Amino acid sequence: MNSRTSRLVAGLAAATLVVAACGDDDDDGGAADTGAAPAETGAATTVATEDTGTEATSAPPTEGTGAGETTASSAGTGSTATGGTGGGGGWTVNTDDCVDPDRANAPIEGTVNIGSSGPLSGGPAAAAFAPVIAGYQAYIDYANENQLLPDHDVSVSFGDDQYDPALTPGVINGALDEGAHLISGMIGTPNNLAVRDTLNEECIPHLEAASGDPEFGEVADYPWTMGSNLPYDREWKMYAEDVAREFPDGATAALFYVNNDAGAVSKQGFEDAAEELGIDIVDDQTIEATETAPPSAQLGSIAGNAPDVIVAFPLGAQCPVFLNELANQKAANQGWEPRVYLTNTCASPLILGAAGPSATGIFTSQAFGAVDITNPDNATYPGVAEYLDYIESKGLSDTVPTSAAGWNYAEVTVEILRRAAESPEGLTQASIINAARNFEYTPTMIREGITFKTDGEEDGYLVESTQIVQYDASTKFFTDVGELITKFESS
Amino acid sequence: MIKIKEGSVVHWLIRLVWVAAVVAVVIYIPTKTTSGTVGDFTLAFEYAIAAMSLNLVLGYAGIISIGHSAFFGIGMYTTAVLVSRYDWSQGWTFYVAAAIAFVVGFLVALPALRLKGIYLAVVTLALGVLFPTLIRWDKLEWLSEGPAGIDGITYDDIPKWPLIGELRGREGRATFIYWVAVLLLVISYLVARGLVKSRVGRSLIAIRDNETAAAVMGVPRARTKTVVFGLSAAMCAIAGSLSATRLNLASPDIRNITLIGSITFLLIMVLGGAATLWGPIVGALAYVLLDARLRDAGETGEGIVGTVFNDWLNIEGSPATLVLAVILLAMMFVAPFGIVGLLRRIARRIVVIEPRPAGHPIDESNLPATTEAVAEVDEGLAPGAEVNVFADPTTTSGEPT
Repeated sequence: MNSRTSRLVAGLAAATLVVAACGDDDDDGGAADTGAAPAETGAATTVATEDTGTEATSAPPTEGTGAGETTASSAGTGSTATGGTGGGGGWTVNTDDCVDPDRANAPIEGTVNIGSSGPLSGGPAAAAFAPVIAGYQAYIDYANENQLLPDHDVSVSFGDDQYDPALTPGVINGALDEGAHLISGMIGTPNNLAVRDTLNEECIPHLEAASGDPEFGEVADYPWTMGSNLPYDREWKMYAEDVAREFPDGATAALFYVNNDAGAVSKQGFEDAAEELGIDIVDDQTIEATETAPPSAQLGSIAGNAPDVIVAFPLGAQCPVFLNELANQKAANQGWEPRVYLTNTCASPLILGAAGPSATGIFTSQAFGAVDITNPDNATYPGVAEYLDYIESKGLSDTVPTSAAGWNYAEVTVEILRRAAESPEGLTQASIINAARNFEYTPTMIREGITFKTDGEEDGYLVESTQIVQYDASTKFFTDVGELITKFESS
Repeated sequence: MIKIKEGSVVHWLIRLVWVAAVVAVVIYIPTKTTSGTVGDFTLAFEYAIAAMSLNLVLGYAGIISIGHSAFFGIGMYTTAVLVSRYDWSQGWTFYVAAAIAFVVGFLVALPALRLKGIYLAVVTLALGVLFPTLIRWDKLEWLSEGPAGIDGITYDDIPKWPLIGELRGREGRATFIYWVAVLLLVISYLVARGLVKSRVGRSLIAIRDNETAAAVMGVPRARTKTVVFGLSAAMCAIAGSLSATRLNLASPDIRNITLIGSITFLLIMVLGGAATLWGPIVGALAYVLLDARLRDAGETGEGIVGTVFNDWLNIEGSPATLVLAVILLAMMFVAPFGIVGLLRRIARRIVVIEPRPAGHPIDESNLPATTEAVAEVDEGLAPGAEVNVFADPTTTSGEPT
């Protein structure tokens, strides 16, 4: 091909692209309208290990913590409230706009295939999240062994996206090609966002998106997508209210957070509450998600302002680094002893243990409101003993606190499947999302008084309650501070 | 060993078979494979365009750039902003992205007029570091949405294309984006080929090999470097635009807009074969498919990889990244000139294409004559007979024939 021909072909190709650019977006022969969300507010965050770990001060519950009848739970020890429809008022998904409405309403026979993705290789994220994935897989094995979904086996396939959203669509497409009926427990906010539109367009249930981003509660725009964690903004509002209780005459606060969407959402939650509660924010420092060096300059600035309170959201391995550097700053500024609140993504004995004594006395909460499963006092708690026995039989003893998050995601998913199977429609993709949107359930390791609840478009957030706790580095246990916080539960 | 004269009928037949095979594979992928595989190839084409753009400046011109991730990001965010905020149709945003990146690339290339080697690398490194910080900067949040990024970028309804017909749903979307990627890759290839085979291309190579000598010979260094850098940036931005459309997301957490992206593009270019036109394409396909297969193997812990790492070496977790790194290192020893160089060396044991002797008249019965071809011969330089330091030293051409 000589250069003139090359130019001619390139010109033709470019002209074709112009045709593509002029493509008829309103062509009703294209994909079905998904009711897609406004084209903004993407999110990019890191979901740290959603470790649980708070000491339950109350007696272990037995059953029936929710309103209504009590039935056998997925794990046999959890507490369920209303058996079929939970707290919802009968919200049902509209399948008319699905690419294939028949498939969305077709009965699922035999094995229920769950697809998911997470980082199994490729960097520090894999080390943090691989145990979550192992915990999820362990619960699915447990559910199959105990026939928790009658007449069905459940299988889960976690694809490795290395925590890179650019790889997630390929992984999820592969799972759907292989016959996944639903997607559950996907790790990472941007990763979930990268496939959210596709899954809603295809009417594939997208459950337990492992993120605290409030975007995953937008039922009207994304009826097939549901988040799993306590939203970050609510968590930081809880901290602001705790600060107001501790400092009734007013307090000064400094914020320190990772420079991604999780940090931004958290900060906004605190600022909104602080304005109403009279908390004066005197400093505002950030850290990049990839930074590994101690945040000396940021904490030096904060120490210069000597606030009463520091509320912090470092990311994963940054948590102990932050706490150690804070200890250095306190040593250099004798007499300054701020009250420190730390994101619940750091609330793991594995992470805080790395900070040693520097972590003593920090306040945090939990993503799920679970009991402290590492505390032997809770070994008799329903579900905890069973979890520990089973997870250790799988050779996962080293990751007990982190794997619990995956176990919890899977338990909720299987419970949703069980309710969908018991619904009049039987187990279909539509009945799965209907069950998820009308849900009320207390998982086996969650403390009494906290219920995972959704209510159609009225309440798209599964977890909105938690307990503020304080960490003791000498015992590596958490103790409860104040009452359970359930005020954000909107239904 | 078979000897074939360049431009002979047999040579043209070989080319025809080669083109037919490529076309057959390109058509086979979206029609006979799953959407996951189609997605893998689309990702590979994205990487191929980005690596091709880097190849122009680094492979051919010797200008070290570690900042191409920024141009990829400019493309990604230009498309995201125009689609989400101003309701543009996706295709048009590619042109704007390319134009913006061209201007930025042109400006960044200005220091290249005075800097060389590691110093120039530092300038581009700064660009690569700066871009992710800029899009997170709260002063620019009105435009970039800050750390949250922008979603809702892809086509709501898939445009109808002639021949391809109506496409719907996930599989239709994957197929459509695949064809857009193929089209953009073809355009990029033709642009790169046209550039490299032209006087500008020879100027680039002359500058790379001996800048002083090139200046003495009258090569316009400043203009050549800046324009080529701008073109390279524009091409990389198109890959970014394509990526945003495929992912439906532009986020600072996407690796390809960070320095890791620049390194990946560089790796792909070297893996395929620097300073060769097919190198970035072959490198991207090899990298993406190898990476995908290794991640698959790591998930299950089955097969050779699982047996060796999980069972024998007792390594916990997926060894996908480790194995990929080892394979890539091994490739540098086995094929220092890239996969294309290796394939050419093997092919040459079977078939040798004898170039037309310089200064001899062309057999016009076998080759459609053009004024350019005649001009090249008049200058005593056979087409494609440039000296190429990255190419196999036993050949005179940087390209497969």
